[in-house]
Order: sequence, then C-alpha cells, then structure tokens
Amino acid sequence: MKLSELKGKSAKELTGVLGFPDKANQAEKFAKLDLPNKKTEEYHYFDVEKLFDKEYKLLEYPHKPIAEGEKLVITDGVVTSAPKGLRISYANDTKIDLAHFDAMYYLGHLLCSHTIKIELDGDVQLEVEHHYTQSNALIHYRIELTNQVNRHSTVYETFIADDIQDTLVLYGYDLNIAQDSTLRMVKLQTMYDNKYSIIASHKMNVGKNAQAIFKSFDFGGDHGLQLLKVDLDERAHIEANHLLYVNQHSRRGTVSQIVHKGEYSTSKQEAKNILDGNTRGIFDALIRVEKTAKHTKAEQNSKAILLHEKAYMAAKPQLEIYIDELEASHGSTTGQLDAKQIFYLQSRGLSYNEARKMLVIAFANTLIEKVMDARYQERIKEAFEAVFYSTNTN
Amino acid sequence: MSTKNSIMKIENLQAKIGDKEILKGINLELEPGKVHAIMGPNGAGKSTLSKALVGHYDVEVTGGDILYKGESIKDMEPEERALNGIFLSFQHPVEIPGVNNSYFLRTALNAKLKHEGKDELNAAEFLRLMKSHLESLGMKSDMISRSLNEGFSGGEKKRNEILQMLILEPEVIILDEIDSGLDIDALRAVSEGINKMKDGKRTFLVITHYSRILDYIKPDYIHVLKDGRIIKTAGPELVAELEEHGYDDIEEEK
Repeated sequence: MKLSELKGKSAKELTGVLGFPDKANQAEKFAKLDLPNKKTEEYHYFDVEKLFDKEYKLLEYPHKPIAEGEKLVITDGVVTSAPKGLRISYANDTKIDLAHFDAMYYLGHLLCSHTIKIELDGDVQLEVEHHYTQSNALIHYRIELTNQVNRHSTVYETFIADDIQDTLVLYGYDLNIAQDSTLRMVKLQTMYDNKYSIIASHKMNVGKNAQAIFKSFDFGGDHGLQLLKVDLDERAHIEANHLLYVNQHSRRGTVSQIVHKGEYSTSKQEAKNILDGNTRGIFDALIRVEKTAKHTKAEQNSKAILLHEKAYMAAKPQLEIYIDELEASHGSTTGQLDAKQIFYLQSRGLSYNEARKMLVIAFANTLIEKVMDARYQERIKEAFEAVFYSTNTN
Repeated sequence: MSTKNSIMKIENLQAKIGDKEILKGINLELEPGKVHAIMGPNGAGKSTLSKALVGHYDVEVTGGDILYKGESIKDMEPEERALNGIFLSFQHPVEIPGVNNSYFLRTALNAKLKHEGKDELNAAEFLRLMKSHLESLGMKSDMISRSLNEGFSGGEKKRNEILQMLILEPEVIILDEIDSGLDIDALRAVSEGINKMKDGKRTFLVITHYSRILDYIKPDYIHVLKDGRIIKTAGPELVAELEEHGYDDIEEEK
C-alpha cells in the first residue's frame, strides 16, 4: 500500500478503500484535512511525502494470547506480553477528538480496527516497550490509556527495532488523565537511519486539577515526528519537556498544540535541541488560551544548539490568546556552543573536543536530570551518550 | 627588576582585540616564588594581558613573545598552558548549567595528573581532597554538587576559583581582579586560600585596580601598567605612592 494513494479521497471513498464503514467521523475529518504534504504547516519541515510515496506491506493485527512479563510489550502493533494484573483489552469505541489539528491522528484511527485499551488501576509504574520486527511494512496501532481519579502513575516508553529497514510506524495515544490525578509519561527513543520512520500522533485530555508530565527523549537518526494535542481543564497542568539530539540525516521533532480550556490551567513546555550532521530539528508548538480559560499561566521555550554547518532548526513557538487575564511567555534561541564556556573549560586543562562534549552533555542533562526515577535517568543518560559518542569519536 | 631565572618572561608583547591595539610592547619577568602585582587605571590593558598569557580567543598577539620556563607559549593552546601549570582566576567566571562542579574539577585534575604521568584519582579520593579545601575556604559542601558557578554569588564564584587553584596546584597563578565584588569576609577567605599556596615556589601575578587586596596578599614587586606598557616597577612601597597620587603622576622609567 502507498499512503499517497489516499490523497484527495472523499470520506466515502476512504471508508470503502480501508474497509471500515463504521468510521464515518474519522473519514470525514481525514478527508477534510487530507493527507499531509510539504505545504501542510505541521509537516512543512518533515519531508513527509517521501514516506508516503513508498510501497509498504500491510500487517495483520490478531488478538494473540498475552504472555505475563515485567513490561507491556507491543510487537508490530500487537500486545505480546504484559505485567500481571494490568487491565488491557481491545476496544473499538474509543472516543476521538473531533478537533485535532493532525490528519494523521484521524488516519491512525481509520486504519485500526481496534485500539489497545489500557486502564491503570491505583498508583502504578508501567513500562511499555514498542518492538518492530518487519521491514518495508506499515505498522499502525493506537493506544487508549486511562488512569483513576486521585491516583499517580508513571509510564515509561521505549522502542526497539530488529534488523529492519524502510518501515513506517503510525501510532499514538488517546490519554485521559482523570480528575485530581497525575500521569507521568517518559519516552525514550533512539533511532538509526533507514530502519524505520515514525509519526506519533497523540491526544491528551487533562482533567480538573490533574497533572500531566510528558517528557520525550528523542535521539539519533531517521525521520520521526511526534504530534501532540493537549486539552487542559480547570486547574489542570501540563509540563512538557522535549530533548532532541539528532545526527546523520535526521528529520525529527515535536509539533504540539496545548489548549487551555479551563480557568487557572497552567502549562510549561521546554524544548532543548542539539543538531549534529545534516539534520533538521522541529519544534512547532502552539499554546492556545480560550475565552473560558481565565487566569491561565503558560510558558514555552525552545533552545537549540547547532553542532554542524548544515544543521537547521525550525523553531516556531506560538501563542494564540483570546483573553486578557493571563500570564504567558514564549521564546526561542538557536546558536552554537558558548565560546566563553568552552574557553573556561580549556583554561582548566580540557581539550577543545572534551570541553565541547562536556557542554553538550551538560545541555542535555538539564532536562535528563528532571526525570524523577534515578534508574531511568541513568538509562536516558546512557542512551544519549551512546548516540552522541557514536558521532563524536575524537 | 631583572632576573636570570624568571619562570615567565614577557618580551615586547603586543596584542589587539578586534582592531584595537591594546598591549603596546610589554616587558615583564616573573621571578619564581614571588608575588608580582600589576596595577593600573581602567583601560590600561590589565585584563588583556591576563588573557594573552592564557591564550584567550579574544586576544590576537601581534608581536613579541611569552616565554614560560624558557619556551615560547605564544602559539600554545589554552589547555596546554593550563596542563603545564599556568592558571588564571577569572574576573567574571562563567556559569555552566548542567556541568557538575565536582565532576568538572575531577576531570580537570585527572587531565593534569595524566599529563604529568601520575595516577588519576577515583571519586572517593577526590572527594576527600576536595572536602579538606572546602572547609578552609568556608564553602558550603553543597556547592560541589551544584552546576559550575550557576547561581553562585560573586563571592562564591571567586571562592570556587580559588578552590580550583588549590586542587590543580599550578605554578604560575594569575589573579585577575580577584577582589572585585567581594565583601570583607569573602576577601579574607579568598586571601587565606591564596596565601596557603605561597610556598616560595609558586609565582603569583595579581592584577588589580585597587590596593585593598595587597593588604592581604603581600606583593614583592609592583608593576604599573598604563596605556599598554609597563611604565614603572618597584617594591611594595609603591602602593602607598599610588594611593596618594594616583596613576597620573607616575612617570615612565627610561
């Protein structure tokens, strides 16, 4: 299948081609937004057409027996193991957002006959491992995740790919964070050129007085875009941190919309981007404050360090505000390593290259060290340094 | 002053920053184990001289030479100068968020030990060494676990510079306006740290606009720098004269 064949199709044609006649809403939304191309604002810097012009094989998504394991493992879109007691099922009644900005959110729902539904009971810590084994495949799946009122959970996400090539993964979460609860999502993804590309399109509803903490650590090569829409209810809060370190010929980043709907809702979004090689980093982030969201506080910041003359950072922090009673700030800087800092380290006996490495790692650590779990923090540091030192061997 | 065995000899040093010629032929010899103070008005070239000695990228040396232990270091990389024993305490130390103070200093010390062919220190050995110096400088122990100079007060930054000096044990120590921004307690602690290093072998070059620091670190020689040149060298008695008459009345020695 070539995804480019879906371009310009009507809702009726789409449901016919994809074989899910009961998904009229998704089809209509997708038909209206249409398959993204380089003129689509959210995908402008991503070279998406290259991915959609490839021929992919389609996979089956059978409901296999789920083995018991320490973590939830999703292999090629199918749950293969899960911790004992985790409530997990397949659903075809997932409530979708009818105002998502991303066409691929709707396509993801259109392509999936069911979603993987995870219900977190109590205060839990769950590790989700996404495992990809198929070359030249289109792997698509969606996850619906809910937690309970006044509970505090953490989800760690990791990604593993076998020796595969030229696969495209379309996946995403529909997250419903219950009133007075906290959900931490920590994502660690190291990718390598030509193995697989990924478009992850998420939706997050943050309930009254609830807190969402979303931290993404994206390292390495290839093409990867995470698209995130967040709706904040009254006194809801989101803290979103994104650390991007890309090398080789990578095109990766974050496109997000944080929508303040409830009064006294707060958001803090911080992106740190380190671009090595002929790479492109993307941080296209909108904070929208609706009329109903008086006394909102919103903060957004992006910093990028370019380590290569051909590296390019597309940073677009944006505020869209419809009220006066709020505090909001946003900013973006792109530059090179600070010459004064390099010299200071050299003046204490470190070589130029050692000083440069120390500063890059320090820049990354300012976000890595915000991860609460020390063991996971260490894993992220190791993953970062493994990718960084593979590019900077001197 | 002329010494046969100077540890550092600056010969007719000329340097510019951007298009501006700042050092216009500096001649200066540093005697081993002595404290040399360079005094001069604002804009005389004091900080440019200190930067030139450690190879700062701002400064382009356009003429003359800098000999350290008889070898030219004019074209040497900053880290090579540091590894060979030249240390600059910065007037305005930079803040480096994310670089742990203790980790940085152990990396720097181990780079020096490796350069000298000695065994590197492990974390526990280094911590013991660091703790002994922290107490003597009146530094809080949490400063070693914080990011390098980040959020430090002016006094804490200067104490941290002295901590680095005590641990790295350099041979030539350049103190650029070490007293600026220090209250009396911090000045005393910093001075005590410096005086601990005065063992008759290490050489100090104290660069200052005011004489206050010289009440605490007794100089052996005073050099007056004006308009990019050393115009007078004398003993410590020159400080009183400068205090009374300022720099305008100092005449260049022929």
